[in-house]
Amino acid sequence: MLRHLFKLIWNKKGTHSLLIIEVWAAFMVLFGVLTLIVFNLRNYLQPIGFQYEQVWNLELSSNQDTTELAPKLQRAIQRVRSYPQVTAASRMSSNTPFSANQIGNSITYNKVDVGGDFYYTDGELAKVLDIPLKKGRWYAESDRVGKYVPIVINQVMESKLFQNESGLNKVVKRDEKTSYKIVGIVDKFKAKGLFMSDTPGLFQILDKDDRWNSNILIKTKPGTDANFEAKLVKDMAMMLPGWGVEVGYLKDSRKNRENLTLVPVLIFLIVSGFLLTNVALGLFGVLNLNIAKRKGEIGLRRAMGATESGVTSQFLGEIWVLATFSLVIGLIFAVQFPLMNVFDLDREIYIIAILAAVAVIYIIVTLCAWFPSKQAAAIHPAVALHEE
Amino acid sequence: MIKLQNVEKVYRTSSIETLALNNINIDVKKGEFVSIMGPSGCGKSTLLNIIGLLDAPSKGQIEIDGSPVKRYTDKHLAELRNRKLGFIFQSFHLINDLSVIDNVEIPLLYRNSSAKERRELAQEALEKVGLSNRMKHFPKQLSGGQKQRVAIARAIVGKPEIILADEPTGNLDSAMGNEILGILQKLNTDGATIVMVTHDEAMAKKTDRLIRLFDGTQVS
Ligand SMILES: Nc1ncnc2c1ncn2[C@@H]1O[C@H](COP(=O)(O)OP(=O)(O)O)[C@@H](O)[C@H]1O
Ligand SMILES: [Mg+2]
Repeated sequence: MLRHLFKLIWNKKGTHSLLIIEVWAAFMVLFGVLTLIVFNLRNYLQPIGFQYEQVWNLELSSNQDTTELAPKLQRAIQRVRSYPQVTAASRMSSNTPFSANQIGNSITYNKVDVGGDFYYTDGELAKVLDIPLKKGRWYAESDRVGKYVPIVINQVMESKLFQNESGLNKVVKRDEKTSYKIVGIVDKFKAKGLFMSDTPGLFQILDKDDRWNSNILIKTKPGTDANFEAKLVKDMAMMLPGWGVEVGYLKDSRKNRENLTLVPVLIFLIVSGFLLTNVALGLFGVLNLNIAKRKGEIGLRRAMGATESGVTSQFLGEIWVLATFSLVIGLIFAVQFPLMNVFDLDREIYIIAILAAVAVIYIIVTLCAWFPSKQAAAIHPAVALHEE
Repeated sequence: MIKLQNVEKVYRTSSIETLALNNINIDVKKGEFVSIMGPSGCGKSTLLNIIGLLDAPSKGQIEIDGSPVKRYTDKHLAELRNRKLGFIFQSFHLINDLSVIDNVEIPLLYRNSSAKERRELAQEALEKVGLSNRMKHFPKQLSGGQKQRVAIARAIVGKPEIILADEPTGNLDSAMGNEILGILQKLNTDGATIVMVTHDEAMAKKTDRLIRLFDGTQVS
């Protein structure tokens, strides 16, 4: 029977070519959208790697002030740490969690060069953000004495740089002047939120007299409220006349950040939803028309021994064969993505997206063909063959 | 072979009721060639559809091969149509998108037979109607007479005992019509039981027996 259906569709490929193209286009769009969704979903399912619920971001900006910035910043963080409401505080570069800022660079080991995010912080960051260590320890002030700058890297950075070896205590080079010693390895640090993919990153200890990195992350005790925030802002403004002082909650910036990912996905989803509905309606119309035109054939098949369910499955089978033609063409395009490693995404993402798109297409065509096929089966053979 | 007792058929549409067949009693013996005649609209096709199990009678009983058709379930009827009956229609009802041989194979798709077996039986049937040199053609490339010969091959491919033909020569000129009748007569001498609806008195005369219908009633 399958062969028969293949022949039937193949011989009619001319009349079906538009349908085939339509289903093919639907598949390609679905493949794109699903790739996006699978990519984001997979990221989403990976832990973010740190705690941010109670954490505030105090942004200080020196504005016109150019004198003694380093000591002023040091006094500021000491003051912050002295409040009873504060559990821990850490200075950090402007690429704080969920911010729009990014600082990128690369390091080299044995000619392997890996790029990633560079976070400049003091050793307290682990306490503020509760970043668990996999190996080694966080750097401390005492680590500065060596000739290498201490850094902590994440797991992905380790596996990219060292493959199966351990990266602990290895020395890596940033440039001719600077070499790093890896003192610790953390698991994940998805600073841009759950939707960020787990990419290489490293933490480098802040210079003692650093003047540029003026963000302070503050872990507050549970129950700390806006009263303390007001007091903090006021105290800072008094301590640092002329400076800009701003406090943001990481909780809130996380929402904003994740919306930036979700909104385009949502828009894509809606647009492709419309598109698929259109394709489905078109398909439904064409199939309905087709069956009206093929009444004689239906009656004939019934007279030759086809059962009602036989007719239903013939029409469903035809649409599956047709969809299969479209999908074969679609697959030729789609498999290029994992094969040629387009966009540098994980192969698995493309493969899952392809399988899901194939499944959705079959489901859609089945739904569209279901009602017309049932109707076809309900046509009475004697009526279908009625000679005019 | 086929026995109809007190068969009645009423068509009901929303506004009108048509009594298409009224108290029909027919007994077709095995190996007989019976023709049905009557004016247009008198119920010939309706009768053939009921004999062919394409339609259920409103009243009365049908026996095929001595056993009454009681269970009008879809599956049971489909099986009977497939095994016992072969149909031929005035307008051929070939599927234009399939080649001649694929058209002939259709009845075999609805039973368990291998692709090879189907091909062999279809070739054999096409030889019987003298079209073995047209197997790869499509219906559009054939003349009316050739189309009807394909339809006959399709009707006999499953080796049914009964062949039902509804005005098989109605769309053909008389030379082609006679050719078709010749093939049917040959099938009949080879053992097939045939019931044929016709308009043509001369053709009806060449069959074993004639049943006349008038306004849904049997008149002879
Ligand atoms: N499906 C149907 N619904 C309603 N009336 C029908 C149907 N089929 C046939 N008839 C009516 O039944 C009568 C017999 O029709 P038919 O058997 O086709 O006649 P014939 O084949 O002798 O020309 C006609 O009056 C026709 O209008
Ligand atoms: Mg008729």
